[in-house]
This record gives sequence, structure tokens and C-alpha cells, in this order.
Amino acid sequence: MKKRNNKKKNTQSNFSKLSIFQNQKYKFKKKCPLSGKEAPVVDYKNIKLLKRYLSENGKILPSRITSVSQKKQRELSLSIKRARNLALI
Amino acid sequence: MNLYEHTIVARQDTSPAQLKQLEEKYSKIVEKNQGNIVKLENWGLMNLSYLIKKNKKGNYIHFKIKANGKILSELEKNEKIDKNLLRFLTVKVKKFDLETDYFNKNDDKEVEKYQKYKYEKKK
Repeated sequence: MKKRNNKKKNTQSNFSKLSIFQNQKYKFKKKCPLSGKEAPVVDYKNIKLLKRYLSENGKILPSRITSVSQKKQRELSLSIKRARNLALI
Repeated sequence: MNLYEHTIVARQDTSPAQLKQLEEKYSKIVEKNQGNIVKLENWGLMNLSYLIKKNKKGNYIHFKIKANGKILSELEKNEKIDKNLLRFLTVKVKKFDLETDYFNKNDDKEVEKYQKYKYEKKK
């Protein structure tokens, strides 16, 4: 078991979000991080939040990886595109 | 009357005096046509994430406007011609949040603290 754990830590590269052998944290999070009462507001000015949902190359991450709900994913992609237009991202 | 958020990006080599002129020019257009400027934010000189017309940086000015839609199209018409501007963006919103400043550099740490606090609360 110990050996396996070590291997997993080593495989966390820059593309860990996109790789198939990703951490279990990403895969089996059921709840959407953006909906709920205390969730942060999705807005084109809130760059720090938006950057969390972008890949290294600035592409929008699919919701199956980030486990964002459909409704919030639509909001996200719209506000990311707005921020891109203003050259904020 | 609707609520709009309007952002302008000006060239990097515009002087502060010119920036003030820009602010006044566009706020006059709104006020002449019975519009109302709720808030004017100056985000200052920021790095652009990609080159726009050979500019690496841009001066950001942000308006929160309560006005009719016709005034906004009038604004944009003027901004398209303006050579000092790189980009503009209008967004129609249902409510203004006047509390959070995302681009205030002095409060950057406080915002982080606040977000951490929120995050810990969730946990």
C-alpha cells in the first residue's frame, strides 16, 4: 500500500487535473463547489475564482472534472469569455 | 431604466489627465441623456494577459450606470471611434454589488483573508 501511495504523489504533474490517473479528490467529489448558500459569486471580475476553472493553457475545464453543476458551468463559461475579452485572463 | 456595468480599457501611454478627460467625457454623455452614474471605479494600470494593438498594459475604468439601453448604444458608438481605447464591455445586471472591490490592490490581502475565512467555514 505504501508503495502505491508514493507513486500517486509522484505522478502529480502540471496536467494532473486533466490526466486519467488523477487524484481521487477530483474524481469523486459529488457536490458542486459553486452552488449552495455560501458559494462564491461567479463574476467576470472575480479572476481568482475563474482561474481555478482554467487549464494551464487557459482553456475552460470540463464540468466532469471540476464537478460544477450545469447551470453554474454555463455561468462560468460566459464570465470567463467576458474576462478574456477584457484581457483579464 | 436598467442597471449596467460598463468597463473601458485605455492605452498604456495615456496620461492621468487624459484619463480624467475620458472619465468626464463618457460620464457627461450618460448624464446628458438622463442617465445616472451610481459608481465610478478606477482599477488603474494593469497587465493585459495578451497584446492588444501592441499594448502590454491597460488602464481600466469601470462604470456602474443606471440608464436606458439607448444611452449605452450611444456610449458604445462614441467608444468605437475613440483611439485612446482598446476595449469596452457592457454587462446588464439585475443588482449591483457595491461592496466587493476585486481590483483594489491595498485590499488584496484582506480579500484573501476573507476568502480563506469563507473556505474554512465551509469545511
